[in-house]
Formats: sequence, C-alpha cells, structure tokens
Amino acid sequence: MRATGRQLRKGWQAIAFVMALAFLGAAGHGDEASPHDASANGLWSTMPVVRPALPSVENAAWCQTPIDHFILAPLEAKSWVPAEPAARDRLIRRATFDLWGLPPSPEDVRRFVADESPDAYERLIDHLLASPHYGERWARHWLDLVRFAETNGYERDALKQGAWRYRDYVIDALNADKPYDRFVIEQLAGDELPDATDETRIATGFLCVGTFDDEPNDKLKYKFEQLDDLIHATSTTFLAVTLKCARCHDHKFDPIPQVDYYAMLNFFVSGKAAEGELLAFADAGSPAEAVQLLQGGDPTRPGETVAPAFLSMASTRRRDVALPTSAGTTGRRLELARWIADAANPLTARVLVNRLWQHHFGEGLSRTPDNFGVMGSEPTHPQLLDWLASALVDGGWRIKPMHKLIMLSSAYQMDSTHAREQQYALVDFANELWWRRNRLRLQAEPLRDAMLATSGQLNPKAGGPSFFPPATRQALEGLSKKSDAWGESPLEEQRRRSIYMMTKRSLLLPLMTTFDFADTTQPCSQRNVSTVAPQALALLNNDFVHRQSEAFAGRVIAEAGAETAAQIERAWWLALARSPSDAEWEAALAHLQKQRDHFASRAAGQGETLGNDDPQRRALASLCHVLLNTNEFIYVD
Amino acid sequence: MSTKRGHAPSSGFPPPASRLFPCGQTRREFVWEMGAGFVGMALAGLLDGDGFFARQASASTRVAASPLDVKPPHYAGKARACIFLMMNGGPSHVDTFDYKPTLEKYAGQTLPPEKSFTNSGNRKMGFLTPAWRPFRPGGESGLMISDYFPRVREHADKLALIRSCHTDSHAHGSALVAMNTGSTFIGRPSLGSWCVYGLGTPNQSLPGYVTIMDKRGGPISGQPNWSSGFMPASYQGTLFRPVGEPVLDLAGPLDRTAQREQLDLLAQLNQRHLDGRPGGSELAARIQSYELAYRMQSEAPEAVDLTKEDQGTLAMYGVGSEPTDEFGRNCLVARRLVERGVRFVQLYSGGGHLEDTWDAHESVEKNHGRHGAEVDQPIAALLTDLERRGLLDSTLVLWGGEFGRMPFAEGEGAPGRNHNPYGFTMWMAGGGVKGGVSYGETDEFGFAAAVDKVHLHDLHATILALMGMDHEKLTYFHQGREERLTDVFGNVIEKIIA
Repeated sequence: MRATGRQLRKGWQAIAFVMALAFLGAAGHGDEASPHDASANGLWSTMPVVRPALPSVENAAWCQTPIDHFILAPLEAKSWVPAEPAARDRLIRRATFDLWGLPPSPEDVRRFVADESPDAYERLIDHLLASPHYGERWARHWLDLVRFAETNGYERDALKQGAWRYRDYVIDALNADKPYDRFVIEQLAGDELPDATDETRIATGFLCVGTFDDEPNDKLKYKFEQLDDLIHATSTTFLAVTLKCARCHDHKFDPIPQVDYYAMLNFFVSGKAAEGELLAFADAGSPAEAVQLLQGGDPTRPGETVAPAFLSMASTRRRDVALPTSAGTTGRRLELARWIADAANPLTARVLVNRLWQHHFGEGLSRTPDNFGVMGSEPTHPQLLDWLASALVDGGWRIKPMHKLIMLSSAYQMDSTHAREQQYALVDFANELWWRRNRLRLQAEPLRDAMLATSGQLNPKAGGPSFFPPATRQALEGLSKKSDAWGESPLEEQRRRSIYMMTKRSLLLPLMTTFDFADTTQPCSQRNVSTVAPQALALLNNDFVHRQSEAFAGRVIAEAGAETAAQIERAWWLALARSPSDAEWEAALAHLQKQRDHFASRAAGQGETLGNDDPQRRALASLCHVLLNTNEFIYVD
Repeated sequence: MSTKRGHAPSSGFPPPASRLFPCGQTRREFVWEMGAGFVGMALAGLLDGDGFFARQASASTRVAASPLDVKPPHYAGKARACIFLMMNGGPSHVDTFDYKPTLEKYAGQTLPPEKSFTNSGNRKMGFLTPAWRPFRPGGESGLMISDYFPRVREHADKLALIRSCHTDSHAHGSALVAMNTGSTFIGRPSLGSWCVYGLGTPNQSLPGYVTIMDKRGGPISGQPNWSSGFMPASYQGTLFRPVGEPVLDLAGPLDRTAQREQLDLLAQLNQRHLDGRPGGSELAARIQSYELAYRMQSEAPEAVDLTKEDQGTLAMYGVGSEPTDEFGRNCLVARRLVERGVRFVQLYSGGGHLEDTWDAHESVEKNHGRHGAEVDQPIAALLTDLERRGLLDSTLVLWGGEFGRMPFAEGEGAPGRNHNPYGFTMWMAGGGVKGGVSYGETDEFGFAAAVDKVHLHDLHATILALMGMDHEKLTYFHQGREERLTDVFGNVIEKIIA
C-alpha cells in the first residue's frame, strides 16, 4: 500500500515497460499475437508456478522445513544468522493468538512449557487447528478482504438480512478445511453448481455484502458502479490484480487492456442479490445480456460488444469460455470461478499463500498483498512464494496443512529480538530478510477477545445472528437518521467474540476503529497499525475495559482466594502467562496498598458508590486494569 | 530563499529521530529519546530508584531529541502554526474567489474542444455558466470576491488568493489525500505530520496536530488524510470530535490520583518489558502515547471549553446561531488550540458525501449558499480574532478544497458543476503572507490554471517555507530514500511571501 522506495523504482520500470510496449506498436489487443499473453509480458506473478529446488545452506541443522532453506540461504549470503528460537512460553502465546486470536490459558502455557516430548509443538498446532476458534480468527482475515459488513451503508444503511450466514459459512469452511479451490468456486458461483445447496448459495454472499445505495443518483451509472464493486472484490480478493484500473482505459502499468474489464463484466452482468432470508446472488435468467465496452468508462458511450473472457495476462493458454445453459442461470460465474480455481492459474495460489504468510508473519512475501501487478512489490523470496504455492496446490488446496507447514518452520519460531539487531536493522530495517520475528500488535478483535478471555467473561457461543454492543450516545449522534434503533443485545450476548459483533457501516464501534478496524467499503488486504493517544484513552477509560477489569478481579479472587500474594501471582498468569518478577511483585503490592487507601479515603469522604465499592476489591481491579494496558498484553512476540 | 530574506541558513537541522537509531547510540539512549517527552515526570520518579538517571547523565543533552519537542526551523519563518480550513468536496472557484467576467460573454457556449479533460464520474456536460452570485471588490486592495463570502471579503486586504492551483486527481478520495499528503496514493505523511515532524510542538500536553471533522462525517478516504504514513504515529493527526467529549473516552470512572498511580505502575511494567526487547520503537511509542493521553484528559477539555469566551466573541463566530454554530465553534476551538501551542489544526467544512460537502453537482447556488453561510462568518471572525490577539502574524490560515469545479454546467441548463482538478483557487492569510494580493490566473474560462501555475507541490513548498522549513531539506529517511512532502518537485511562491 505504501509507496516504498522500491515501489517508486518499480514505477519507473513500469513506465519504461509501457513506453516499450508503445514503441513496439503493441498497444492493441485481442488478436492472436496479443502482447498481453502472459508469456510476453514478463510480469513475475503471471509466470507459471514451478516448484523450485531447495537452495543449499550451510547450517542445514537449522532447517526444520523446506521453508527454512529459502529463508536461511539469503541470510547466509550476507553472513547473517537468524534469531534464536523463541522461548516456549512466547511460542505458545504466539501460536495461540495466531490461530485463535485468543491467549492461551495459564494451564495451557504451563503444560506446554513442561512438555519435553519432541512432538509437543506439533501437537499444539494440531490442537489449535482442530478448534472452532481457528475458523473464528481466520475468517476475520477473509471478511476484511471481502469488505464484509451487515448493512448497505449510505443514508438508510439498511440491514442485509442474513449476512451473518455468510460470515458463518466462512468460519465453517475454514474449520472444515474446505479446499481453497472449492471455497473460491462456491463464493463466486455456489448457485450455479450442479450440486448447489443452501450452503453453496449462502457462499455467494461474497457478491452481496458490499455497499449498496438504494437510491442512486443515476441508475444506469450505478448499475456499472455495482458491477465494478464485484469486479474489484473478485480481482483483488482472489487475484491481487487491480483490474478496476482498466475500467476507462487500458491499465496504465499492468498488461490489462480495457477490453479485459468488460470481458470480466460479462460474468456478473446478469446477476443480483436475491431478496429473502438467504442473502445470495443469482442470475436473473438466461441468456445473459450483451456487454459493450464503455468508452472512457462512460455508460452513455457504449462501444464494441465484448464476449466473456478471462483475464488475458493470467491466461496461460487461450481458452474459450464455454457457456453452459441451465435453468434460470447463465452458468457464466461458474466458468469464471473454475478458471480462477484452476491449478494452472498463476495468480490464485500465489496470492493465497502470500496472504497466509502475511497473517502469520505480519508482512507478506510480497508486501503488497492486494497488488501483484507492476506497481506492486515483488516478493522478497520469490522462490519461497512459488514453493508454497505449489505445495498448496499439490496438497489439494487445503489450508490447514499450510498453516502447519509454516508454523513448524524455524523461521516462524524465531524470537522477536536479535543480538545483532542494531547491525542488521541498519541494512534491513523492514526485516525483509526475516532475520527475526516481527513483534505484532493485537488487532482490534483479538484485543477485545483477549480482554474477555482474561476476565473469564468470554461467551464462546459460535455462529448465528450478530450481537449489538452498547453504542455511546456520542456515536449515535453521528448517524444521519437518529431514529434508527440500535438494538443493544443482552449482556450475555455482548460477551461473545468480536467476529460476531454487528458491523453497521454507519456506526462502527469506536473501540474497534480506534484500533484500526478494516475499511468496510473496499477489500482490505492489510490493516493499518497505528499507535496513538486515543488508543490509550480507550484502554484507560472505555466502559468495556473497566467492566472487564472488574470481572478480571472477580475471577482472580475466585481462583486465588483472599490472599494478596496469590492474587498478584494469579493476575500475572491470567494476563501475561508468567509469574511476576520480584520488582514487579513489589510494585504490584505497593499499587494495591496505595489504591486501596485512596479508594477508602475517597469513599469515606464522598460516599462514592462505583460498582463494587469495597476499596480492596477496587484496588485489585485497578491492578488488573493496568495489566490489560501493558505492552506485554497487547503485543505478541 | 533564506538568504534573500536575510536569514542565516540553518546548518543544524536535526536529523530525524528514526535515523539517530541505531547509528552508534546505545539502545537505552534511543529509548530515552523516544520516551523522554512524555514519560517525563512519571518515569523520573520511577526510574530514579534503579539508577536510570545516573546512567543517563551522559545523555542529558539528548532530552531535546524527543520526537515532539520543539526543533529549530531551517530559517525564521513567520508562521508558527497553521490552520487549514478544508472545504471538503471542492468549492467552485469561479463562484467564489476566481473572478471570471469573461464567463458572462461565453455563457451558453461549450468549452472549446481543444480543452481536454477527464469528465469525472462521466457526468452530463452543459454550457459555460457565469458565477451564480455576483463578485464585488473587498478592502483597499479591491480583490474580487463573490457574495458567497461577504464577510471574508471584508478581510480582502489580509488575503493572498492563489488563483492558479491545479492537482492530480478528479476524484474526491484521491484528491483529498493528494491535498493532504502530496500524493494521490494513500500511505504518505500528511502536511500536518510534516510540520510537526519538522518543528515539533510547543505544548506536549496537547497533540501537535489536531483534525476536527464536520459533524456530518469524515472525508472520503478517511484516516489516510491525517495519517503520518511511514513516519512514527507520534506525527499523526488526532481527531477532535465536534460533539460530546472532544476526544473519545477522554474521561473514565477513575479520578486523576488513582489514574496517575495506574500510569506510574504501567510505565514501570512497560519499561521492564522494553528493557528485554532492544530496539522496540513501537513499544516506546506506545509508552509515550499513555503520557500524552493522560495530559490530554485535562488539557483537551480546557482547550475546547468555550464558556471561557466572552459573549461578544461567541457571537462574532456565530456560536449559538444557525447555520454558523458548528463551524463557528470549530474555528474558535482552532484559535484556542493555536493559542495553546498546537502546531497544525485542520478543520473540515463538509462531511460524508455529495451535497453534505461542497460537492455541488446538483446546484451551486443551493450547495454553496448552504455551506458558504455556514463558514463565511466563522472564518471572518477567526481572522479578526487572530489579528486582535496578535496571533495572525504567526498563524497561517489556509483555505481551499481538494479541487475546484468546472466552469460549465453539469448538464444542459443544469445548476450544478462537476469536479475540476485543472484550475482552482486557494487562499492564505497571516503567517507572513502578503495581504490583498492575487497570484496566478486560470484561462479565460476559469477552466485550467494558465498563468503562474501552482501545483499542489508548490503550495506545500510554500506552506513549509512560511513555517520556516525548506521543503528540499525537510526529509525523512524511509526504505533507502530521503522522502519529502514535495517528492522531487515544488517551487515556493516567493511573490506572496511578505
């Protein structure tokens, strides 16, 4: 996303490339010798995926998986060494947040640290992947990509009935380890499958969860806006291609002629979101209406008729789109879906494994996960990306084994610190060579969920309609229609995981947006990570955080008893999965005493009645509150 | 430039904090720099006991290197603060500040075909249309300003109109980001971030860079408009809300004493955590964010507390009257923030989409009549107020939108106008700007900048110059490149600098 120095250089390369095309008189397209054939354009992401051989390394003992060869070789070329392995308590915390978006329990940590069997870590990964919490975490990454929200946006911001079923579909698909090719096909054409079911129809919610203006200024223009949303969501999510840029003219940088955009538009032109309990996409009938190229993207200036065709730059062979006709549908989206999910598509697997790497490591191997075009950044480890892509396809497109493969690598298990940090950071500040683990800040959902888990309040109820968190008066004032009721859910529901929270486009929960919640209008491949004072204010003052601190204190008392020393020990274990150091223990003790005296004097003087008004209890809640605010709580090493 | 104005060129502009580490410093020094400005008093007490200060004795000179501490400018610019009045949506220049009597002559004709342009949003195109309200001369300078801004017109002698601006995008999202960051692509630091990065901020208890949204909503593209991009988040704009508490979650159930005790413990725990993680700049930044948050809790409510203002002042800004109340409050808050040392304040007029912004597709008269009435009196009051308090010379006021609007109607006989990135007007006042001057011209149609063209980069270069910074020297090293607000472009408009 960011214009890095490398991207700027890429920009010049792109311009040179475009000029070269122009010089060769190669601006035309569509004929047999199209310069937009993958073989001619030279763009790395459109080259066929070939599984590379493993690079040879000196320190073969470090390599626990093939991945490690690809990481170690460039380090050794610089005479660099990778970071030491992370301590086991750090490792289990990392793996659990990574796969579940939740912290490990103190007991999980103790057990894992004590388990000296050689396969303890592998069993941990298996255990984490087998839990439904895995789908609840990784579905969120997917929902970011598909611009998921449960309302239309715009002035009325009406509820999309049944949008939650799509959210549950994604969670269930991940938990069931549905092969990714099938996952793609169901979301694009679940209604057109010969074996279509309610489940596969719900999957087409992918095409329905975007913004929708029920009162557009110009209906013809808006029709193409809606189609553009589908083209953009599809091309970004599955292919990391900025096809959107070819709506009005040939793509300025990538080998995408304008005709490709309208060829793609053919696949969607007959469909719309169906009304009813199931939020699903369906064609209005068959045959499909003819699509004309719009000159300058202008709906009032239709040009040549364009037949359905696949993205020319990523088509490794010419393949006419067969158009099966079946009752009530054009069958076109199924064709598109099958082309995207084809093992020969050079983009699909690369894009997915890059995203997997990104969510495990904080950055992708290509650091522009939404743009594999000329203006994107080339992978730092292109051979590793291809190796992973071929492993995905060879493994039947199953994602869980890929998680395991990645997490079993030494690369994944490195510590977040490095003895030569100062030296290496001078050369590679962005850690593009992966010489250490990136320290990651919890995203909004894992942060909220971790507070609930720590306080013991987490309601693990899975699936079903979303809950409404309490909305502040202030947030409600920002609504254009203030009469719109915000149905606050029962407390029990409010304690569910964040993925089950209602996402209303005009009223996103400030606690979530403050911590860089995803944009809900466009595919979001990578969230911002900002560190600003309003986040500190939220964690210091927000009502939700205070309620969790109180509950956390209650849990500590329930589990540790009335003795202060045991309470401190337990609070540390629940929040940070370790015992306090001596200095920390002293500081905590002093804090409890000071706060207790302070609350006691205040209560005596002013007769305060704040929740539980026992000064001792309030002091403990204050300590718990501090722990929820620590860097150690919010960062994962 | 600096020589011309008789200032000694600066030789000692400090390198950005990001480059000090890890170039030969100890990690502890780096942490000290990152944290010193905010952790300040709190850590002093806590760390004294563990000998921290004894070990820091040799680094005492580095205290001033905290990222937000005041830094010397390249040369003595007059402006110490900037208030950017952002007219979100793109006001029509030919209807406001770019007097084009020739449009009367061309009314009913089409723009000549050789004038090529992107028809943003593929909207309908009509005939050239004169200004919807008359222009009249203002002040002794006689600058021509339309009846959408009768009160601002009274300040004509303070204004430098820049009537030849042009930008790189016809779409709101990217044009807003461009006006704010210099690039149509999101991810670069915004103007306010560059100012705070270059100059620091005198009041560590308030954010150095404040953004106040319109109640109707944020700008299209959202956060990237006030982002610090690849710079540390310390330079990012902080949102002040126009309703309720100025900053969300500003107050909680704990009193100040109890909270201070919490923060002291938190700082101690975080410091120990950081000690085990050398080079953790993100961790240090987060430590720092807590101290800012703590101080904001007392300073921010005071800064936005308009009960301290007398009735005359409130009435002058239009506070308590419609339709000026909201923007009047925001302008008055902006003055109070600048008074308290905030370096950069951006106020949005217009929020959300279309007619709730200056995006006058439907009707210029209806749209600009509405928004002009909201902001004209407050802006005039701001200029009056800054002047009478002696703040105008040191405060640069900047007015404008992300682009202008077309001189022709949006559709035959239609009363609206479409986006125009090719030519538009921005104006400046105070902060060392010449008053009563007009710089640059659009062509006879008011369509495109024609004489003394001013690109965004030139505008940004000029703003930095007025604030005492050389846009070619204000660099931030990022991934192998010395990044600048103005990329490799930008020319300072010397002619409008007093």
